[in-house]
Amino acid sequence: MSTIDPPEELISAYLDGEATPEERALVEAQLAASDEWRAVLDEVRSTRELLLGLPTREAPTGFWDSVLDPNIAPPVDLDAQRKKRRGKRAITWLAGAAAAAALVAVVLVPQQSRVKPSVATMVNRHAVRSSVTAEPVSELAPVAQPVKLGP
Amino acid sequence: MSTDGVPTWEEVARDHGRFLYNVAYRLTGNDDDARDLVQESLLRVRRGLETYQPGSLEGWLARIVTNVFLDEVRRKRRRPVQALPENPDLVLPASAAADEVAAAAGLSNEIQHALSTLPEEFRVPVVMRDVADRTYEEIAGSLGVPVGTVRSRLHRGRRMLRTALVKSGALE
Repeated sequence: MSTIDPPEELISAYLDGEATPEERALVEAQLAASDEWRAVLDEVRSTRELLLGLPTREAPTGFWDSVLDPNIAPPVDLDAQRKKRRGKRAITWLAGAAAAAALVAVVLVPQQSRVKPSVATMVNRHAVRSSVTAEPVSELAPVAQPVKLGP
Repeated sequence: MSTDGVPTWEEVARDHGRFLYNVAYRLTGNDDDARDLVQESLLRVRRGLETYQPGSLEGWLARIVTNVFLDEVRRKRRRPVQALPENPDLVLPASAAADEVAAAAGLSNEIQHALSTLPEEFRVPVVMRDVADRTYEEIAGSLGVPVGTVRSRLHRGRRMLRTALVKSGALE
């Protein structure tokens, strides 16, 4: 016999009649030699019997009437409902995303300056004057008529 | 029953609905989810009957209900929701009255509760084998895993169930 212990899961297969003849022989040999295996066999057997002995769960009253009578409640296609809900959710999500993007654009995108005249206009005027007179300093921002000093 | 031996979905519901509901309840652990699971399974039955080859009808139904259940488990994992327990006695400390009710029900509430605590990969083979009476090969085919995996998960599932029952005080 092999010195390697057979895998313990063979106990369930043995109890279920799902072990091959070779596996059955292995299990029986192991059971004869090992108290531990016998204890596991007892535990698994009693657990299995508890499950096999569970009563059949009956559906709540009226359930089958509603399933079988399409006039009362036709079977609901949960898949279709779910897909529909998913579609609606996607549309809502997209609408929300679009609204958020618009808000971000309004708040964050640079707007036209409110300074009058605009900075761009000032720059242009200055550029034009300075290029004509070649005196950028005196022509930069004439605010009054030049004063003539006498006689 | 049609001439080709394929039942209508109403016949399936009428003749095998009890089996279907019982498996659904043992998988989900509560009536609300079991009802949804049965309805969804019957829709798949309806669609699947067009291509159904007469054979083990309950094997086919067990496969459908399991697949619908696992689809739902995956969907819930993607969008987890915190459901309220259907039976508060199962999560609150048991009172003397609850103990009496459980004893009268012959441990079935405790077993169901312990079953519900098993991770799905262990619960499904246990229910398929010990509730739906399916062979290892059928279970393997339903789950798309090798028979060896079914063996291992079923055995571990039973062991875990036993541990849970001992831990809850239902078994010594």
